[in-house]
Amino acid sequence: MRSLFLIILFFNIIIAQSPKKSADSPCDDPLIRLAELEGIKAVPLKDLIRLKKLMKACERAGGKDQISKLYENDWNRDYKKARRMASWTSTHAMCVFVSFGYYFVGKVLATNPDSD
Amino acid sequence: MKSQIYVFIISLLPFCNNIVQGQPKLSIDLGVGFYEPTLTGFDQNETVQFPPKSILNKNLMLNWGIYYEFFNNARIGYNSFTSYAIGKSITLINSEAVFRRSLSYRIFPIETFFRWKPNVELNFTLAPIWGRGRIELDTTPGDKTDDWNYFINSFGGSPDPVSDMGATDVMITDWFGYSSMLGFRYYINSRIGVDVKGGFMNNSYKEENWRIQRQKVTGPKMKVDDLPIFSLKIIYGIR
Repeated sequence: MRSLFLIILFFNIIIAQSPKKSADSPCDDPLIRLAELEGIKAVPLKDLIRLKKLMKACERAGGKDQISKLYENDWNRDYKKARRMASWTSTHAMCVFVSFGYYFVGKVLATNPDSD
Repeated sequence: MKSQIYVFIISLLPFCNNIVQGQPKLSIDLGVGFYEPTLTGFDQNETVQFPPKSILNKNLMLNWGIYYEFFNNARIGYNSFTSYAIGKSITLINSEAVFRRSLSYRIFPIETFFRWKPNVELNFTLAPIWGRGRIELDTTPGDKTDDWNYFINSFGGSPDPVSDMGATDVMITDWFGYSSMLGFRYYINSRIGVDVKGGFMNNSYKEENWRIQRQKVTGPKMKVDDLPIFSLKIIYGIR
C-alpha cells in the first residue's frame, strides 16, 4: 500500500511539472495557452504583468484575433456559468427581494402614529 | 484495516488538485457608501462643540471587502463600511482635545447573483452586521505630567524635563444588525467591475452599552436603525 502511495505521489509530481519552454511566438507562450484554456482568472497574480506584455506582443505579432477571442471566451465562460440561478440561490434572491420590497414599500406607505 | 483506509485517503489527496483548480474565485473591492444616520448626541450637544456635520463625516463611508465565490451563483465574504469624524481643539475642562470618531458596520454577506448579460450582473445580498462605535480623545491631564516628572527626576539629570503630555483613551460600543441589498455590477473586463448597491440596514444600537476602560458608560444618542444605504465600489477579481 505504501509503495502504491509513493508511486501515485511520484507520478503526480512528475505530471504536474510543466517545464518552461521558450516559445518562438508570444502567442504560443504557455501563459497565453493557460489563459485560453482556463480563463484569465486562472493565471496567477504574479504572472499578470507578464501576461499583459505577452498579449501586447502577440497582438503586435499579428495575433489580434487570438487575443480578442481569448477575452470573448473568458466572458462567455463566466456568463455560461452564472447566467441562471441554480439550486438554493433563487430562494435566497427571492428572500432578499421580498425584504427589500417590504422595507421600501413600508417607507412609502407606512404612516407615522404621531401625524394623526 | 483502519490504517489502510487512512493510507487510501491520503493517497487520493494528490489527485484533488484537479478539483481544486476549477474552484471559485476570490475578489476584493474598494469603494464608498452613503447613508444618513441621525447623530443627535453629536449634532445637538450643547456642552461640547463637536466638529460641524458634513457629508464627509456624517454621510460618507469608506467601504472595502473581500469575497469568495463558493458556488456558480453565490459568494460569501466580509465587507466593512466605516464613517470617520475628526476634530481638533475640542474644548474640555482641562485640555484642548483631539477627537476621533468611527462608526463601523462590519458586514458578513451571503450574496447570490446571476449574469443578465455577459458583462452585467444582478446580485442579492443578505447579511448580518456587527457594528462598532469608537470615540477616541487625546487629552492632556496635568497630574500625568507631574507623575512622569517625579519618575524621571529619580534618575537624575535636569529636573522636571516634561512640560506637556497627552493621553489617549477610547470608548467603544458594539451592536448587531442585519442588512439587505440589491446590486448591479458591470464588468469592464473579466477581472475588474463596477458595483452599485442599494438597500437598507437595521442596527440595534443602544447608547447605554458604551464602555471605557472596562467601565460601562452612556454614550451619544444616535439613530442608526432603519437606514437606507447605497454603495459604489470597484471590484478586482484576484483569482
